[in-house]
Amino acid sequence: MTLLALYLLALLDGLLCGLRASMGRCPLIRKRGYYARALFRGIAGSEVASILALGALFVVGVLSGHRDVLRADLESSAGRMLQVFLPYAALVLINLALRLLPSTDIRSATSVFMLGPLTAIRPLVMIAGVLYGISRSSLIETWLLGLFILVLMLSLEFVLNRLASRAQVRQIRQRI
Amino acid sequence: MFPAWNPSQPEITDLIVQYDSGTLRRLPVRKQQVLEVFSRFRNRRAFRAVQHLPEKAGILDDREIDALLLTVHWEMQRLAEEFYLGDRVWALLRHVVAAVRKAGIRENLRILDVGCGIGHTIRWIAANIPLADHNIELIGMDLNATLIAEASRLASAERLPCQFLHGDALSDKHSKHILLSTGVIHHFRGNALLEFLRQHEQPATLSFLHFDFQPWRLAPFGSMFFHYLRMRTAIARHDGVLSAARAHDARTLTEAARASAPGFACGIYGARIWRTPAPRVFHTLLGVRHELVPELLRELGSRAARLEELR
Repeated sequence: MTLLALYLLALLDGLLCGLRASMGRCPLIRKRGYYARALFRGIAGSEVASILALGALFVVGVLSGHRDVLRADLESSAGRMLQVFLPYAALVLINLALRLLPSTDIRSATSVFMLGPLTAIRPLVMIAGVLYGISRSSLIETWLLGLFILVLMLSLEFVLNRLASRAQVRQIRQRI
Repeated sequence: MFPAWNPSQPEITDLIVQYDSGTLRRLPVRKQQVLEVFSRFRNRRAFRAVQHLPEKAGILDDREIDALLLTVHWEMQRLAEEFYLGDRVWALLRHVVAAVRKAGIRENLRILDVGCGIGHTIRWIAANIPLADHNIELIGMDLNATLIAEASRLASAERLPCQFLHGDALSDKHSKHILLSTGVIHHFRGNALLEFLRQHEQPATLSFLHFDFQPWRLAPFGSMFFHYLRMRTAIARHDGVLSAARAHDARTLTEAARASAPGFACGIYGARIWRTPAPRVFHTLLGVRHELVPELLRELGSRAARLEELR
């Protein structure tokens, strides 16, 4: 259950990373299709990260000499990570929901006062969540896995941004 | 105050593209001259951003600058989208159009966006509002031919009923009933602001709406934070924050408008959020012909409370 929750949060994060990486790079007015593709790229990116994390988990599990202890340790670490990630995700979702209200002032305010700052602190939340999760573990495998997942999470937006930036540069070169 | 926030200095984009005022032909821009301007203001951030611009024999490379300007304008559209500028412009413009109609003017109304850039506002209205119902025509104008070409390309890609022209929007060659702009008026300062508003006094012009940043103590800090998070190019980040620092206050705008365009009743619209003292990011310099004021106030209804002293 804990792993499933983490996986769903990773999907949500990937979705929003894909969206952010695409923003400001398409000057059309009607761009549902463009954003749908961006969301898809975000989900695909988070799927790749999840598969890599799962692969690492599998390898560590196979190589470990104390599989049951490791499993219990990983579950308790993941549970602690959720204590950080869930409130953060809830704040993001509440603010996205507020944007459904038909007021330009409220919608702009969510962007300026909440979603912007929440984006700014995303890397810190990732670091804090993972470190808090693994901090009580004495197993080196848990630490390595946690840090590997952290690197994957932090790399996702960077990679998506690089890809979107290259596509944008190509498009602009065609215009000039 | 940080040197990058000194409102006396121009923005980077004001300097890296220059035109012949008569022919609008692009003029070569010497990089060293631009660097010297920011060096005088001890603005290291702008200096560094300009230093990175590509040049050929000391002259800024037009092609690269155009590519950069497009990137910056694509980013700026994101900002306009996050602040729902299209919605905000139409929310006021529709009342002005309705007031004009109530005053008995039935002809097709030409709405002209001054300094439209890549034409986000005009394209947004064209995409979201049934123009035939309001009998309005949408035109965007800009001095920059590259931005106008991009605006035209985008409009035709989405088959939007609007047009974009390269030229001086305020020249009397282009008649217009309603003038609007977004984020442009702070570029005109001192006598240039008076001259800009004086040129609104053309017989056909019935109203003008200039949307721009509203200055207040925290605006540059908010703008810095917002631009740091949302903008990717150094120039967009720099100029965005400087725009907030250079924005004209309500008094400057209304006094200039009343002195230069006395044929219009002028006031500031939408400066406060609802009826609280909290300022909106943007406020609007609104001008309408005196005879249209009663109809406009009736059309605005309860929103007339957002209007400060229209005279």
